[in-house]
Amino acid sequence: MLVIQLVLLAALFAAFLLTWKRAQERVIRRREALIWSALWMAAALLIFWPELASHVASFVGVGRGADLVVYAAVIVLFVLIFNIHVALDRLDRKLTQLVRQEALKEIGDASLKPEDTRV
Amino acid sequence: MKVAAVMPAYFEEPRIAEAVLGVFPYVDAVIVVDDGSEDGTAEQARTTEATVLRHSLNRGQGAALRTGTEAALALGADIIVHIDADGQHDPEAIASLTKPILSGHADIVFGSRFLGMEAEGMPVTRKALLMAARQFNALVLGVSRKVSDPQSGFRAMSADAARLIDFQQDRMAHCSEILRLVTRSGLRWQEVPTRIRYTEDTLAKGQKPTDAFKIVWQLIIGAFH
Repeated sequence: MLVIQLVLLAALFAAFLLTWKRAQERVIRRREALIWSALWMAAALLIFWPELASHVASFVGVGRGADLVVYAAVIVLFVLIFNIHVALDRLDRKLTQLVRQEALKEIGDASLKPEDTRV
Repeated sequence: MKVAAVMPAYFEEPRIAEAVLGVFPYVDAVIVVDDGSEDGTAEQARTTEATVLRHSLNRGQGAALRTGTEAALALGADIIVHIDADGQHDPEAIASLTKPILSGHADIVFGSRFLGMEAEGMPVTRKALLMAARQFNALVLGVSRKVSDPQSGFRAMSADAARLIDFQQDRMAHCSEILRLVTRSGLRWQEVPTRIRYTEDTLAKGQKPTDAFKIVWQLIIGAFH
């Protein structure tokens, strides 16, 4: 086994442990932990058996295993960035609600009095 | 029936007082929402009889409209009119917007630039873009094709309709969002012709063609909430 494989596997194992530690601390949800774990295990599998990428690559019609990994990474990154945008938007809306609550305090108990009616 | 006009304003110091005074003859109350301007917009608006609310941070036109609408509901308005502060909407048209609601024929009425009244000074690019937006609204958002103006910011609604339409888009995408919510609800809606005045001023401050991409992006992100 190559040194690089050992280093990567150790890193993945650490990531795996950290994921479940965070899940236990309820920082992330169980479902998220499962998804991350699947990702770590897939990566470990590729490190153990690099030819696997080539097999899958030729199966889906992409030339080399390394290419497949790059394509997959681009897709994963796109999804991650998109999720960040959605999360940001959610935050934005919360900020708006806060700003709105603050602004609406100014009207207090006022109301359109009947004598104001011009229609 | 009490009619309240909601007027979002962002950096409108030179124009806001005149705009408010222009609207007052047609409504019972004007609610100006200063959307975090750093000039004297709020102070100028306070020289009139308008109710002035202030966003401490700029949150966008949609957000300001929603704040103003909630204020109008809290104040007991029966009809709420959304109108721009930059003077491109003719306040005289408020009567034709509120008429179908007053007579019980509609819950919400949109002003349209494409129902006969020629807009003054509308650039050709703007017109083409609005036509494209109409197709987008129909195909992607499922807004009825009967809607002739996809980006009208001039509208009137009953208080009940205002409570029902839960629009969330803070920025420019609120127009399309409101159209989608309204045309897919059981609310009775109508369009009436309105004339828009495009001046160098309003064109410089208004939407740019590239904003279309931003609107599409905001709508896509919004769909994933």
